[in-house]
Amino acid sequence: MAAWPESTRLIGSSIPRLDGLAKASGRAKYPSDIRPEGMLFGVILSSPYASAKVKSIDLEPARKMPGVKAVLAMAQPGETTIYYQGQEIAAVAAETEEKARDAARAIKVEYEILPHVVTERQSSAPDAPKVFNNGNYRAGRAQTAGKPDEAMQKADVVIEATYELPVITHVCLEPHGLTAEWKGSDSITAYASTQSVMTVANDMVQTFGVPASNVTVLTEVMGGGFGSKFNADAWGIAAARLAKDAGRPVRMFLDRAQEHMIAGNRPSAKAHVKLGATADGKLAAMIAETSGTGGRSPSNFPLPYVYHVANRSRTHTEISVNCGGARAMRAPGHPQGCAVMEAAMDDLADKLGMNPLEFRLKNLAETDPVGGGINRTELYHEQIERGAKLIGWERWKPRGQNGDGPIVRGLGMALHQWGGGGAQDKQVACIINPDGSVELRSATQDIGTGARTILAVIAAEVLGLEVGQIKSNIGNSTFPPGQSSGGSTTTPSMAPPCLNAVTQARDELFQKLAPGLNCAVDDLTLSGGKLLVKGEEKMTWEQACRKLGVMPINTIGRFGPGLSSIGVGGCQFAEVTVDIETGVVRLKKIVAVQDTGLILDMLTWKSQIYGGVIGGLNYGMFEERIMDEGTGVMLNPDMEMYKLAGATDIPEIIVDAYDTPEMRKRGVIGVGEPPTISTAAAIGNAVANAIGVRVPKWPMSPMNVLNALAAKEGKA
Amino acid sequence: MAENDSRSPNGPGDHSRRNFLRGSGLAAASAVLTSQATAALAEAEAQVASAEPQVLSGDVNLTLMVNGKDMSCVVEPRSTLLDTLRNRLDVTGPKRVCDRASCGACTVILNGDPVYSCTTLAVSCQGKKIETVESFDTGENGVPHAFHQHDALMCGYCTPGFVTACKAWLDRHPGKEPTLEDVKRGLDGNICRCGTYIGVFEAALAVAKNQKGV
Ligand code: FES
Ligand code: FES
Repeated sequence: MAAWPESTRLIGSSIPRLDGLAKASGRAKYPSDIRPEGMLFGVILSSPYASAKVKSIDLEPARKMPGVKAVLAMAQPGETTIYYQGQEIAAVAAETEEKARDAARAIKVEYEILPHVVTERQSSAPDAPKVFNNGNYRAGRAQTAGKPDEAMQKADVVIEATYELPVITHVCLEPHGLTAEWKGSDSITAYASTQSVMTVANDMVQTFGVPASNVTVLTEVMGGGFGSKFNADAWGIAAARLAKDAGRPVRMFLDRAQEHMIAGNRPSAKAHVKLGATADGKLAAMIAETSGTGGRSPSNFPLPYVYHVANRSRTHTEISVNCGGARAMRAPGHPQGCAVMEAAMDDLADKLGMNPLEFRLKNLAETDPVGGGINRTELYHEQIERGAKLIGWERWKPRGQNGDGPIVRGLGMALHQWGGGGAQDKQVACIINPDGSVELRSATQDIGTGARTILAVIAAEVLGLEVGQIKSNIGNSTFPPGQSSGGSTTTPSMAPPCLNAVTQARDELFQKLAPGLNCAVDDLTLSGGKLLVKGEEKMTWEQACRKLGVMPINTIGRFGPGLSSIGVGGCQFAEVTVDIETGVVRLKKIVAVQDTGLILDMLTWKSQIYGGVIGGLNYGMFEERIMDEGTGVMLNPDMEMYKLAGATDIPEIIVDAYDTPEMRKRGVIGVGEPPTISTAAAIGNAVANAIGVRVPKWPMSPMNVLNALAAKEGKA
Repeated sequence: MAENDSRSPNGPGDHSRRNFLRGSGLAAASAVLTSQATAALAEAEAQVASAEPQVLSGDVNLTLMVNGKDMSCVVEPRSTLLDTLRNRLDVTGPKRVCDRASCGACTVILNGDPVYSCTTLAVSCQGKKIETVESFDTGENGVPHAFHQHDALMCGYCTPGFVTACKAWLDRHPGKEPTLEDVKRGLDGNICRCGTYIGVFEAALAVAKNQKGV
């Protein structure tokens, strides 16, 4: 088994991504751009109601419309219950998108409208209609350790507070969907915007009963998933059905409103927390009642988080609402758990009269509950020290001492951790052709993380070539099994088999060449595009490969222990100003100190961290799904009233790679998720520090800030 | 005042507000008109008076000048420029994301002005010069190259819009080396979900500097 090279030429340097120019020049073809010959346009008809029974569907008016080639009912009259606005009713394929939309609109659907509950408040009100068979909410059993009640009584200082985070949606810029093309009656190709070509392929196999060997799912590039794009989904299957009926390829991508309503979301979180400590700042007890909604999907989140509370009890209640189901979203559960825990920590530190940084250091858990049991205590100490320096924590002042207004300033911090780690059953093929071209193949995909590029970096490093000489061929379900892009597992799953495949291929090449060169295999090395014998240049890479005759080298690499590891964390700091007259929060600066593992490409690594921070910044400052209790509809299913940061909202962001020799020894780790976890928490703490009172509800919108200020003045 | 035109594809352009008033018909409805807007209104009225009103329906044969080439297709009067480019002409650089003039992914340059093609009717673009990201110089002095080098993209779906907005800004401010604030305001009509803004700012500053030196 191969090991990561001790000294590296490419690994860890800043290498522009392989597909960057194609993307930046508009030439890259995304799944939603691909237009096979004869392609039709598909449209999904969505339910306008949040809760209803479908009584009848008349597809005929749609069928009769000009340009319509296939129509499909997705709901069954008399059977289908509508659980959320946007739920699929029917699908149409037509010659143009305009005509398909008209046709979908022409479908006659009779609904029996039922009462709905679309907010947690509405769902759990005492007189709420029971709209779900198993009730609107389910209280879990208390998870208890130690003696929380007793310990709480003995605690010197106790805070009691309620914190809330809203449902947010993924807002992938490329909508969910695929283009389906049948080749004959039992062979299908799908161009899918997905985080898992293999899962989409499997969905097609399962649904249509076609041989797995006849299904190809292609994702050359794709426009964002963030955890919401693993399956073919009802609309992808509908596209394939319509394509079959019409005998022509069908492109089916959701519209923006459907994206918000049915393509996934991050569950809300509400936590009523009692947290107690001894006078010298040791956590003594936590009693938490939490709840959340993911539509009808789970909403749980880790709590306590990062810190050790010996005596604790926690009960989580799942609340169902008539809204689209939650899906994994960038570090599922962690941003919520982090915000709740870190808010409580800050509030308690304030009551204790302690610097919240010191208070945190005193209470770190020695076993990392999610990161493979790593003791992160020391790591956190060092990372916090670095972060504190970068943000200027020495300027920190207690709440209420940050200016008389109207503009006040505040600092906040938060810690995060994540598991990640690599799957051990993935493969990469490495092909060295006699013409010197090198190709890597695997059924993984690049969702914007740089996966394609890092595989090529590894190959180029081992073969002494330039990154551009490697064809990194991924995003094809028919290639050797690759990892789904989720859970920050792609790099730790794929880098080891890639290193092994390329190392084996190189060794095979050496074995073939050595006899002809009258040298031992061990005498051969590759560097700067040349083959070296005992350190002396013998021939070019191309000349060496030509000696293969007509037979390429083709190896399959598998996972190897020690090349990647599990467990990743970091800390973040935020500096804000708040106008206490308008409630407007401005971000001044964010510092993110992040575990690195062995960095493969510094440029794409940094982009991951910036991207995570900006995702967290959106969660902290802007994002919120707003449901209308009266009508049951989403009020902001767009990109105007569903707020996301634009260029002028971006503060100075400092990314600090915690890149130590020990870190590198761990091998590669994934960092897609960790850096997005603690940003919203740090921002919330900075706002509290600035205005002297906790804003208990995210996002830190003017309304939530003003409400908190009013509550402080007793005017709530 | 146009400097404050947040989320306008015209960014800190010189007459974006005026165009906006003209385009939206708000000018006619607005009770308080600045002198600039009054002038714009007069100009718009003159234009309307000089042009015969045209009623279009059904399928329309359309020729658009895209990236220096005449391209013909059949559209409906309601078809947007974006859908026409993407669905009819296979010009897929501009992306459809919000479809409501909020995100900038569909930005194209129309007669020198950056516009959201998702809220521009294709039939209104006949005889106009349409430039999309595909036509930009991909060499070392071009905007795409700078985006590539500074990793100003991740999934890349927003990127054509950012690149186009950036190119349009540079075209309108020849020889000017923008500040970070200029860049932020100039690109405030675009949204990136992956969070590539830092790279985007670096790329925009670098390309401006580079072009100034040319
Ligand atoms: S798609 Fe046109 S602005 Fe968003
Ligand atoms: S790079 Fe993915 S949305 Fe901007």
